[in-house]
Formats: sequence, C-alpha cells, structure tokens
Amino acid sequence: MLFTLCSSSFVNKMGDKSTPLLAVLQLLRKYNLKGTEEILRKEASLGDAEYENLDLPEVELASILTAHHTESDPYSYEFAYESLKKFIENSLDIYKYELSTLLYPIFVHMYMVLILYEHTTHAANFLEKFGPEQEDYYQEDLKKFSIVKNKDQIKGNELAEIYSSNKFVVQLSRDASSQLKRFLHEQKTTVIINIINNHIQIEVHDGPGRSLAQIRATAGGMLGEATRNENRTKVYYGLLKEPDIQLPPVPVEDEEETEETPDKPKKKKAKKDNIFMKKPKSDPNAPPSDRIPLPEMKETDKLEKGKALREASKRVHLGPDSLPSICFYTLLNSGHTAICADICDDSTLLAVGFNNSTIKVWTLTPVKLRGMKSAEKLQDIDREAGDVLVRMMEEKDRDTCRTLFGHSGPVYKVAFDPFKNLLLSCSEDSTVRLWSLQCWTCLVVYRGHVWPVWAVRWSPHGHYFASAGHDRAARLWATDHHQPLRIFAGHLSDVDCVQFHPNSNYIATGSSDRTIRVWDCLTGTQVRIMTGHKSPIFVLSFSVCGRWLASGGGGGELMIWDISTGLPAATLPPAHTAPIHALAFSRDGTILSTGSLDCSIKLWDFTAITEEVSGEEIGNNSTVQKDDRFLLRSFPTKNSPIKDLHFTRRNLLLGVGSYEGSS
Amino acid sequence: MGDSDFVYGSSLSIDSMKVIAESIGIGSLGDDAAKELADDVTYRLKVILQDAMKFMHHSKRQKLSITDIDHTIKSKNIEPQYGFLQPDSLPFRFASGGGRELHFIEEKEIDLSEILSAPPPKVPLDVSVRTHWLSVDGVQPTVPENPPPLTKEIQKLESVDPISKLNKPTNKDAAGKPMCGKAARLKASESVHVKQLATHELSVEQQLYYKEITEACVGSDEGRRAEALQSLACDPGLHEMLPRMCTFISEGVKVNVVQNNLALLIYLMRMVKALLDNQSLYLEKYLHELIPSVSTCIVSRQLCLRPEMDNHWALRDFASRLMAQICKTFNTSTNNLQTRVTRLFAKALQCPSQTNNENGVGPSMVTTMKESEKTPLASLYGAVQGLAELGPEVVKVFILPRVRWLGERVEGALSGLGGADRQAAGNLKQQLLKVLAPVVRQLRQPPDLPEEYKRDYGYLGPSLVQMVAKQRSSPAGGGGGGAVAVVTCTPPLVPSAPSPSPSPSPLQSHSHTFSTKTVETVATRNVVISASPTPQSPAPATPPPQKFVIVASQQKPPQAQPASGASHIVVHSSQPAIVRSQNVQSVVVTSGPAGAAPPQKVVVVGMPPQAAPPASSAPASAAHPSHPPLVQTASHPPAVASSASQVSQAPVSVVAKPVFTRGGGGGAPQPPPELDDLSHLA
Repeated sequence: MLFTLCSSSFVNKMGDKSTPLLAVLQLLRKYNLKGTEEILRKEASLGDAEYENLDLPEVELASILTAHHTESDPYSYEFAYESLKKFIENSLDIYKYELSTLLYPIFVHMYMVLILYEHTTHAANFLEKFGPEQEDYYQEDLKKFSIVKNKDQIKGNELAEIYSSNKFVVQLSRDASSQLKRFLHEQKTTVIINIINNHIQIEVHDGPGRSLAQIRATAGGMLGEATRNENRTKVYYGLLKEPDIQLPPVPVEDEEETEETPDKPKKKKAKKDNIFMKKPKSDPNAPPSDRIPLPEMKETDKLEKGKALREASKRVHLGPDSLPSICFYTLLNSGHTAICADICDDSTLLAVGFNNSTIKVWTLTPVKLRGMKSAEKLQDIDREAGDVLVRMMEEKDRDTCRTLFGHSGPVYKVAFDPFKNLLLSCSEDSTVRLWSLQCWTCLVVYRGHVWPVWAVRWSPHGHYFASAGHDRAARLWATDHHQPLRIFAGHLSDVDCVQFHPNSNYIATGSSDRTIRVWDCLTGTQVRIMTGHKSPIFVLSFSVCGRWLASGGGGGELMIWDISTGLPAATLPPAHTAPIHALAFSRDGTILSTGSLDCSIKLWDFTAITEEVSGEEIGNNSTVQKDDRFLLRSFPTKNSPIKDLHFTRRNLLLGVGSYEGSS
Repeated sequence: MGDSDFVYGSSLSIDSMKVIAESIGIGSLGDDAAKELADDVTYRLKVILQDAMKFMHHSKRQKLSITDIDHTIKSKNIEPQYGFLQPDSLPFRFASGGGRELHFIEEKEIDLSEILSAPPPKVPLDVSVRTHWLSVDGVQPTVPENPPPLTKEIQKLESVDPISKLNKPTNKDAAGKPMCGKAARLKASESVHVKQLATHELSVEQQLYYKEITEACVGSDEGRRAEALQSLACDPGLHEMLPRMCTFISEGVKVNVVQNNLALLIYLMRMVKALLDNQSLYLEKYLHELIPSVSTCIVSRQLCLRPEMDNHWALRDFASRLMAQICKTFNTSTNNLQTRVTRLFAKALQCPSQTNNENGVGPSMVTTMKESEKTPLASLYGAVQGLAELGPEVVKVFILPRVRWLGERVEGALSGLGGADRQAAGNLKQQLLKVLAPVVRQLRQPPDLPEEYKRDYGYLGPSLVQMVAKQRSSPAGGGGGGAVAVVTCTPPLVPSAPSPSPSPSPLQSHSHTFSTKTVETVATRNVVISASPTPQSPAPATPPPQKFVIVASQQKPPQAQPASGASHIVVHSSQPAIVRSQNVQSVVVTSGPAGAAPPQKVVVVGMPPQAAPPASSAPASAAHPSHPPLVQTASHPPAVASSASQVSQAPVSVVAKPVFTRGGGGGAPQPPPELDDLSHLA
C-alpha cells in the first residue's frame, strides 16, 4: 500500500540522524577547532552542501546537545515529569491551577522526544502512566496522538506536526511564573527547560492567579488558550443601517451602502439626504457603511426586502412566557442519505443536500417551482413589459420538488441567498457550486479548495460568500470572481463551520482545533481567537444584535461568546448528548434554539443569558458555569436528528430532520 | 493484554499479519517483518479512521459508514477499496481449526446470470417531506409524529416510585408542558404544595377525546370504531387517560356479561387489544383491571343471549389470545403472571380424580370436586383455549392429564338432550382435538393404535388417533406446535349473529340501544343494569336466565380471614347484580324463578395471590345437592333492596348503585338496557 500522507512543512530537525553531528560540527567551528572538525566531517562523510548550511540557532544548538546528553537516559523524563507534577500539586492554590495547564504540553512533548530517540517502550509506558490523568478535554487528542509509536510516524502525523511546529500557549500570572522559574533552576535535568523553551509560550499576565473554573472556561484549545494580545483589535460588531425602504405600496429603493462594487455602476445619489437624517441613530460600534463594498440592491431585491419588513411588523414577540411554535419538516425515506438542509429567508423553499451528490429543493408553500423558458422562447418576450419576470417563467412544468445534479460527492452544506434567486452548495468533491433557482442549473463552479469543503455561507447582503473545508482554511468569495478574494489561514485543523457577521464585515470560523476565530473581511487578518470549547465546533450563529456569537460543539455543548472582548460569555450546561448541528436565533433575538443529532430541539432564554453577562463585570469572572435555568424547553422528535433550524420572519420556528426509522 | 493497553488503542497482532500474508501467497513471513508490518498497518489504519470520523461528523451521523472510509482514502490519494459498499455493517464470520481462529468477511459468489435474469428490484421510495407541529406555543402536541410525552420508562418509574414525580414536578424535558404563566409564578412564590400525586386531571380536550373514543368503540359505526381503535393503538399521549380507559373496560365487561351482550364484550376486548398494541403505554399498573375482564370473557358460563346460536366461541378464542399476549408481554419473575393465569385456567379443568391426587388436602376437596364436576362446558372450552394459547408445554402439563375426564364430560353432554349443551360439547371436542393432536403427535411414536389411545385418553382416544394420523400424513402441519393449530382453527372475530334468526342480532339490537343512549346519558349518569326482558329483547315470552358476575379480588390469604359465618354472601335476586366481594370465601347467589329452564350462570373470577377460587373453601352445605352448586333458586323475585340488606350483613362491598332500584321497579316500563359512558365510575 502506498500512503502519501499530507506532509507539508514539517522541518525534520531532530529526527535526522546527522542533526546532532551537524550541531557538534557547528560547535567545533564556533570554538575554531579546525582539525577535529575536519576529521569529524570526513568520518561522518557529510556533504559540502550540508556543511555549508550550518546555521542552527543558538537555542536549537543547546537543546540538541543537551537532548543528546539525556538521550541515554529515558528514565529522566519520567522522573522530571513526576517532580513537576509534585511541585504543582504542592504549590499554593492560587498558582496551582494555572501551573497545571503546563502539564499537558510538557507531557506531550516528552512523549514525542522519547519517540524521537526511539525509546518506544519507555514512551508507551510513559503514555500509559500519565496519559489517563491528563485533562478530559485533551483525551480525544491524546487518543489520536497515541497512535504515533515510532519516529517515522511523527513525520506526517497531523497532531505531531501541529505540536512540534507551533508553540503551546500557557497563561500564567506573574507570581506563578516566578514560582516556576525557581523550580526549574533547582532541577538537575534540563528536559523541562528545553521543552518550555522550544515548545511552550508562556504568557505572563499581571492579575492574580485564576481559579479552576476560570481556567476551564477558556482552556481546551488544541494549543492551549488564546493570548490576550491577539484579541485587542477593535471589532466593529454593530449593525449596518437597514437600507431605507419605505413599505410598499410605495416601494422606494435606496440604500446607504453607496460604495459600488467594481462591476456595478454607481447610481442614485439623490436620496443621500434621506440617509443623513438617519445617521444619528447609527450604532457607535457599527463599521462605516462603506468599509466593505456592498452590492446595490436590485428592484426585485427591494421588493423582497419590503416584504420582509412588512412581515417583520407582524411577528410574534417571544420570551420565556411565550415560546414559539415549531413546525417540523421530516424527510421520510431518507435514512442516512440526507446530510444538510437550509430554508430560505422568507421560508418558502427548503433545500436538502444528499449523500448521493444531489440537491433537492422543495417548495413549502402552495406556490409551485417553475423553470425558466428556453432561450428561443425568451427572445420573444417583450423585455419592457411590467410582468417580464413572470412571463419568462415556464407555465407548464410546475413541481413541488426539483433536483439539482452536478456534484460528485456528498453535499455537506447548502445555502439560499438572501433574495431567493441563488443557491450555494459545497461538497466532498472540493468544489462550491452556485445554482440558479430560476433556470435550475449550475451557474458557476468555484474551485479553490483542495480537499472537501465542509461549509459555505452567504453574506447577509448577498454577493459575498465564505467557504471552509478540510484544508484548514476559510475562503471569502464574491459570486462574480472565480477565485477567492481572501484566504483565511490559521486554523490548525479542519475548519468545520463558517458564519458571516450580520454586518458582512467579519466572518467567524469554527474548527476541529477547538478554537473559533473571527476574521476581518477587509484586511483578511484574524481579529479574534476564542478558546474554551472542548470539542470540535460544528455550528456558529451570530446574535441579531451582532455582539454575541453562539457556537455548538461536537459534544453537544453550547457556548456564547462576546465578540467585543473575545471571551466566553456563557458556557451553558451540556443539555444535548450528541453534536449540535443547528442553531437559530429568533428574529427578535430573545430565544436561541439548538438542534442536535440526539433528536431534540431545545430553546434557550437568550435575553436572560446576555443580561446575566452584562450584569456581571465582563471579564474574568463572567465565565462561571450557569445552571440550567436558561433552558426553557426541550422538544424531542421521533428519531429524527435535526439538520437545520430556521425562524420565519414572524418568529415561527421551522425544523428539518430526517427520520431514521424506529430504533 | 491488560486494560491499560486499550486506553490508547489496540493494535493488529503478528498472527493477523501472517494470516493476511498467507492469503496473498506469502507463506513464510518472518516474525520481525510481521511485527514491523503490524505496527505500520495499525498506524495507517488508525490515521484513516481518524479522518473518516470527520467525514462521519460532517455527514451528520453518529455511526461510521463505509463511504466515510472511502472518502478518506480518496482524500489521501489512495485507490479506494472496491466491493465493500454495504448499507449496513459487514458481518464478520468466525471459523477455527488447525489451532487457529479466524474472523473473516464472507464473500459469496454471485451468479451474474441470475442477477440479470431476475426481475429488477423495486425502486426505492423517493424522499418526501412531511410536516407536523412539534410544538404549539411551547407545548408539544401528542400526535403520532411526536414521541410519546412520557416514555414507558418514566411511566414505569412513576408507578414504581411515585415520589420521584413529586420531587421533580417540572419535568420540562419529558412532559413538554408549559411551565409558564400562573403555574410558574405559583412555583416561584413560596406556596406549599400539599398534594400533586397521581391526579390525572384531564383537559377538556382529553375529556372530549375520551368520550368520543369510548362512544366510538362501543358504538354502532364500524368505520368509526376502526378509527377509534387505531387511535388507541397508536396515539402516544394516552397515558393520562389510561386509568379511565381500563375502568371503562372492566366495568363494561362486568355489566355486559350480566346482560349477555356478546357484541359489546367483543368491542371491549378489541379495545384491550388496541391498548396492548400501543407501544407507548405502560400497562402494568392496570393489569389488575384488565386480567379479570379478559378472563371473564374466556371462561364465563354464558356470554350471549342464545348460546346455541351466537358465536361466543370466537370471543373466547380472541380473549384467550389476548391473555396469552398479556402473559407474554408482562410476565416477570416477580409477578408470576403466567403462573397465576395458568393456575386459574387449570383450576377450572380440575377433575375429581385429579383433585384427589394432586391436592387431597382438607375440606376444600369435596367442594372442588362437586363444583368442577359441574363446570359448564363453555367454561371448560374457555379454559382449554386459554391454556392452549399459552403454548404446547402448558397443554401437555395441564390439559393432557385431564383429557379422560374431559372426554367423559363431552360424552355425557353429547348424549344428553340440551341443544346448547350438545353444541358446546361438540365445540369442546373439536377444540380439544385440535389442541391436543400436535402435542400427542410429538409425544407418541408413529404406530397409532386406537386401542392404546382409547386406554390412555378415554372417550376422545379414537378421534384423537384420526387427528394425529391426519397430521402425521400432512407435512404442512408438521412444524407447527399446538398453538399454531389452535390459531388456525379460530373463527374470525365478527361480532354479529352467526345464523339468521327472527330476532335482531346482538349487534343490531345494541346499535338500537345506543341510538337511544345519548339522550339517556344526559338524563341519568348511572349505570343501569337490567336483565329483565326489554322491549327490544329477542325473546320476551320466556325470561332469559339471570347472570351474575362476581368479581372477587381476594387480597388476603385464606387463613387470615374472619370466621366462616361472616364470609359468605347470599344474594337473592331475580335481577342481575354485580357483587364485588372482598375477603369472601364463598359466594352464594340465588336468583330467578324456579321454572326458568336454563341454569343460572355464575361467573366467579378470582385473582387471589394463592389463586384459590373464592368458592373453593365454601362449606358443602352452601351448595344444595339438587341444584347447581352455589346457586339456589328463590321462588319469588325479591326486591333488590332486600338482597342488598341481606348482603349488608356480610362484610362485603356490594356495588350498590341506584341501578338496582331501577331494575327492581318491575312494573314500570323498562328503559332499554344501556351502557353509559361509565366515566363517572372512575
């Protein structure tokens, strides 16, 4: 069997047998011991090329040489780890919990060093002895990592690469770090010092030592906690002004997002003054409306928007005392074939992506799905006619369901555009496809991802969309470009989900490395990194106000994040027993609904959650576990895992699931 | 391997590698090479599996499938594995031999021509969308599309440990009831909740539903009944109404047995069947009501007005199957349900000689003998049927030893004069043959000699020989046990008169009854039990025989009972009466004018823990020798009130309702027999 495991940039520093020799050579050269150097070179039969490239950094050199020294003594690792553990256990409570976050990275790297030096049996013993006592949220990683049993396997192993090429972040208070320093000085062996120097980034903060609960709230990332400096950038989390649309019957257009996209001519400056009148009301946290060029609305889009506003005025106000009704769409005969579902904004269409590469679109209203007329017939139509949009549709074929063929692998996500004309889908075949809901054909195939694409999302304003996939990157696209506008790289593992901020200026991504990152669409930089999830993140949703981000994880946990600070606002008690794959905020932002593979929909009192947070001091102590008073109600289905949730404009909750037979 | 090895994964063994190497033609794989390979293959397999997990998660599944592995392999640029496409998991087969054990996937050779010539498989059903309300304003409606509001486990927990419900009154997750508004405020305030236990308050909708369902179930419209039964069998939210449903059934059976209303009994049994079929109900709590009702329908002496015409045998068969279903579903080692039911039926079959042999103890012996000797044939039929449904083993142990005696009874009745008796005996004989033949066939070796059979089985011997011989000759009947044969012979359960008769069939007469009922229901909320001939009654000239149902739920062991004098009930009545007795050892019911030809029917259904029939210990003096035991005739019909007063001397509770006074008003125009919805009885 031939395996070409995805090896990319792993710098094989220590694994190579000649590395210690090179280090010695460099040392000899440093002290100008030419004769010895020459003899050694000959004896080791090293090529000139390697000899010329002798420029190992000083620290590396030291570590290699000291490591070389301890290589002979595999027991020193176990001893060193035990003494570190003892030191941490005996230290004061205020330091203890922070210091204990060091244990896991040191453990992992010791294991890796043992493997590198081919003490495989010692490594296995070491793993068995200390592995089970690591934090529960690292066990999953540890299981994955434990398959590495010899030197060759380190090369190309996903986790081993991540651990060796990145630094694990540990946050310590100033006192705790000085305690640690003192301890390390007293040690005879240098193994721990080497590991800390090479693989651990210790962030010292000035505050007092944190409590266990505080640490647990933010711990869990694949590489430790997020550092504070990374979250200092200001994020404009406010909402853009709503386009100023008078309610029909006088559907006046007019949007404030005047910045035009390159391909669309600018027009309509006349209404400007109208906008100025609105300006004082705008959110102080909102980005300038032209920060990201947004598309101009077409006439039809405005009609749609107007309809939405009218609907919104009729919506039910929800709260703990008035829970929404839930209408559930069960996909029958789908078994395990249905993967994802989406309901369009006005709740008239349902799209489902299937295992067998097809996409099906159902109409949820009596209005049937109609195709467009053929090109010859379209020519005959009077383009100036008022009802041109109606006329160009075929009258005869009317279906309640249409199937879209094109992908060559399971369809992992489908998404309707805000104006119900287009559909995006992403698939295992590493493409994103754009479909027209008028001619029911594929319009564009976006290639860019190399591996399966897990998620795709529209910008709330249309035109832009974001995709994320197995290649550990998220991409920002515009529908009229066949190449991505931005590539957001930084996640250490698969990017499992992506979500646009309501103001279209930012996207959030959730990943298997258990971090959520927020990226600026304008600059392409990472503006937030949020740790605290203990399992992969499968679904994200921004609150209606734009400040909060809800995330659902593989273990069924639900977390609420404050975008303004990048800190977890609430870790809700685990109510679901299976991965959460659907999240929806009610249109007035009071209720959060979650749908999970455990076949239940749960409703949460989001107002209470956010009030709680803003009531407290937003900061370290806001991260206490909340009890279950936020959970309003749970609605089980009959063995139908929830694939999607959607609030209609009038605040009726729609759920989609596929019935998997009686168990 | 210790447990610790499995904490961080197991690995392929060297032996596996060698076996795999052999399978591709490498005979001698060195240990070192095998070890090296095993490690490497283990690692690579695990890498693939870890990635396959991602594909599984993104397909929103919790079970790894073969396609996930295919996609992973594809993403690693490896040629995928072909031929493993299987919707479900591939089963491993096990084989051992030559000191080695092997697990392998069986690959069957597929004949292509067969596939080509075979008709194309059915096109799988297309995916469709179905809509339902999962919640309406925060409350989950109990429709079949939603899971039952209380799972069986919770219902069980509640019945086993009612405190748990009190401790957790806001079971939001399960109940789906709103905890908002007033209730929530009440909870929030410091109000003291005194009692919240098992009060099943029915909402108006539920009351309406209950009314509709019960009316439809016993009404005349077969279409509505089918719908109602369907609802009972499928609806997930019935548990709150269950106590009332069960009471409805048990009271209904009591009343209708007395009235010999075959059609209604059948309807009620069909309700029981529907409830048993409902997957979401925890019926254990209500078995004490259902089992007596069902057993009444099996062994009752008379279930219809004209035993010679009506097909009450079908009801007995149906109820027997229900009983078997109950036993199968609910029998546990603690409630010993099947044992108790078996014992109940077996007692009915007790023949005198058997009694002497088996439990020749004390004074009860005599009465048992006398009583069982005169057990009506219909009851015998029911008991045989009930036992037969419980399986061939039961038949072997309980029926076979008594076949000689049963044969005597059949012989006696067949030679007798009574038309009904003759028919009953014929039926019983048929039934016995059908039940016994498969068992006997299994027991005895082929040479079937009529003499031997005659010797062993008495009167039924010769017929049995024929039956067995027939079964032996027909291979089709070979596999089936006794139960199978029984099931096939059961007539269809159609609640209508089997033969044309001048009088209306029970179905018709009662449909009429029910058409008038609704009016009555509003006026009087009482059960009216009237056995005197009604205007609609088929035979107004001769008063039909009176029937009594006595349901004795004997809760105490016999020795704990009061002195014998106080524990007998004597009821004199020309009217039917339901006597519910507790702590009773004997029940004597006298009734009817002396001239009434058919014997009085007394059904005694007891569920004592020791399963001693309530009458078994009655003193011999209670039974008049010249009359059927337990029944004395009174020359004049006394008023029911007087019977009640007599009864009141004994420590029994008589279901004394206004009913009786009504029935007693002999001269007054009788209202048609009616069955109220009984809800008030609950």
